[in-house]
Amino acid sequence: MASRVGAPAPPARAQRAGGAVELPQLRVRSRAPGEPRRVAYLYLAPAFLFYVVFAFVPLAYTAWLSFFDWDGLTVGTWTGLDNYDAILSDPGIRDSFVHAFELIVFYALLPVVLGLVLAAVIANGRVRGVTFFRAVLFLPQTIATVVVAIAWVWIYAPRGPLNEVLDAVGLDAVSRGWLGDFTYALPALGLVGTWVMFGLCLVLFLAGMQKIPQTLYEAARVDGAGRVREFFAVTLPGLRGELAVALTLTTIMALRTFDLIYVSTAGGPGTSTTVPSVLVYQNAFVNGRVGLAAAVAVVLTALIFAVAFAITRLVDRDPGR
Amino acid sequence: MLIGAAGCGGTPGEEKQSTAEKPAADVQTDGFEKLGPVTLNVISGEGSGGPREAIKKLTEQFEAKYPNVTVKVGFRDTASWFKQAKLVAASENPPEVFAGNQGFQVDGELVKAGLILPLDEYAKAYGWNDSFTEETLQQFKWSEDGKTFGEGKLWGVAQSGQSTGVFANMAKLRAAGVDPDSLKTFDDFDAALAKLREQLPEDEPVIALGNKDQYGAIHMWGMVQGAYTPAQEMRDWIFHKDGATFDTPGNVKSLAKIKEWADKGYLGPGDSFNARNDAEAAEAFGKGEGALMLGGNWNASIAKDGLGKDAAFFDMPPGESGDTVAIGSASLPMHISTKAENPDLAAAYIDFITGPTAAPALVDTQQVPAATDGTAEPGDPLGQEVKAGWDKLVEDGGLTLYPDWSSPTMLQTMGQTFQELLAGRIPPEEVVSKTQADWDKYHQELAEG
Repeated sequence: MASRVGAPAPPARAQRAGGAVELPQLRVRSRAPGEPRRVAYLYLAPAFLFYVVFAFVPLAYTAWLSFFDWDGLTVGTWTGLDNYDAILSDPGIRDSFVHAFELIVFYALLPVVLGLVLAAVIANGRVRGVTFFRAVLFLPQTIATVVVAIAWVWIYAPRGPLNEVLDAVGLDAVSRGWLGDFTYALPALGLVGTWVMFGLCLVLFLAGMQKIPQTLYEAARVDGAGRVREFFAVTLPGLRGELAVALTLTTIMALRTFDLIYVSTAGGPGTSTTVPSVLVYQNAFVNGRVGLAAAVAVVLTALIFAVAFAITRLVDRDPGR
Repeated sequence: MLIGAAGCGGTPGEEKQSTAEKPAADVQTDGFEKLGPVTLNVISGEGSGGPREAIKKLTEQFEAKYPNVTVKVGFRDTASWFKQAKLVAASENPPEVFAGNQGFQVDGELVKAGLILPLDEYAKAYGWNDSFTEETLQQFKWSEDGKTFGEGKLWGVAQSGQSTGVFANMAKLRAAGVDPDSLKTFDDFDAALAKLREQLPEDEPVIALGNKDQYGAIHMWGMVQGAYTPAQEMRDWIFHKDGATFDTPGNVKSLAKIKEWADKGYLGPGDSFNARNDAEAAEAFGKGEGALMLGGNWNASIAKDGLGKDAAFFDMPPGESGDTVAIGSASLPMHISTKAENPDLAAAYIDFITGPTAAPALVDTQQVPAATDGTAEPGDPLGQEVKAGWDKLVEDGGLTLYPDWSSPTMLQTMGQTFQELLAGRIPPEEVVSKTQADWDKYHQELAEG
């Protein structure tokens, strides 16, 4: 997941170094200079083993469970694709995926846009105490989500600070129990996600901007570009790698978010904040429908993989390559 | 955890099958001193208020009686315990004694999976069949396959009678000129709500409700339903008697009535009641929010701590039938794990905290002992009112039990549809049809075996 921009350089150097020590003319037939050596697989083995045991096997077992009707306690029965059929036909489950995509707007798009704008402002102007603001804006990333959730439940409470402020400025008509409202509960939770993710995006973009050569800006200025033009012509293309990382991380967080929702609304009111991960929990542990829960988990995993893949393909593509 | 622990392939659940060991016919009810230093692990689902206090106190008394026994009680918030109970019971090292919940969501599954012991031999040894009424014990009886509820072996007993009713802040009722004694019928009560609405500030609810856990509104509705529907109809439905249905005019009317209350602003502005849970609402009521709270008597000690002598409790006045009807049952049953090392000691503990010995600690915390042979009488007025409320419901045969017992998914189905009803997103008829659809689906499953 590290920045792709820097990635190709180290292997290139390593290959050169390796080639210099050995006798290239004897090795030509077995492999071309710079070709990977088989022994590399040995180095990969420990990490790969861990990956298989702790990621692959559970994933495969979850997929296996998704073909059963199982209450988690007694013996399950094979039902084939019934659980997947239920995902397609049950409007409640379909809605939960819609909710997850709504959260992407708040978790991914908003923080990225806000982060870009603020990073551009900070990089351009002389803002005092940048380090301080950067640290403060990054802070939500470092707090456990459960703590974040409890703090925001309090802020959004019917008699909480947000409503007090609204009442104080004469907006009594607007104030409400935000997390108890069918219309506003999901956006309210989404904004918490924006708050958490925004600092991460900002820090990523600020770091990325530092490696954009100053000469490009000078060239743009010579060509008569204004601040806005400069942003779109130089800054944005220069941040392609960081954008891909930010969008991938935030989108994955949006799709798999559970703890914030479980603590603050538990999926309610009604099903208005129920997302797939909450459904997985409810079905597996509350309702004794482990097979269905596993099927939802499998679909969610596939979806996250597809979306992450699409983002890296679309955004992190160097036009010069 | 659940998924990672098991190996790949094979039919899930197969390796866990074990036949429950039944307690021998000659169960021991004393002589636990001989066990030497021994620890009994217990999990209670009574996370707050009086019930928690009472269990703490009784546990200390039990330890004093058997100095070699250490009882470790873990308390869990009720709603979250329902979600953990099955997992904890199925784990490698379950607590010897733990709370379940009546109905198909928790107890039925525990019995079916062979995770708890039948207690009939202990019932004989300790005389539970005399201590508890048949109506109480019925809630803990199951066939061994967990499919028939209300008959068969006994799998648990409980501490107290928990009913739902009306908590009142008397200071606010007096100020509004409402005398609870004058409320003879449900219509009188309904009219009093309108009067209170006029008197209270606009943004203050008449009824303090907490529905984030999605059961507060169901409990409130239960006593409204009682004004329109006989309790027996509801019990038959919960026990899955053939032909029972939720689709009755009384249910539609009572659901329309609570929607009307929401529309008239009795429940506070907007959907704000969805933003807090039952215990939080009780705290707010104790701090003076709202004139009334329609809910479980387990919140009595919270109301008393907050309002002092202004806290009052009474049953919802009856509808046309004249019978007092409301949601209520015995409290959460205490079970013994199949894996318990000392089932006899576990049973002795359960008997101690539920039997006649428990009465003083229960009444001290404004609760009604489920065992009828305890001698303690409540000393404070609120405790007496709570007991009177329970007694009247028992006398009228008006305890409907809890509708969510009727299927593993019913709490979720009703919880969600009730929130949608109160927000005006679906009509009462749709709450009824979705609830009945859930019941029908499970009824089918039970029939298919």
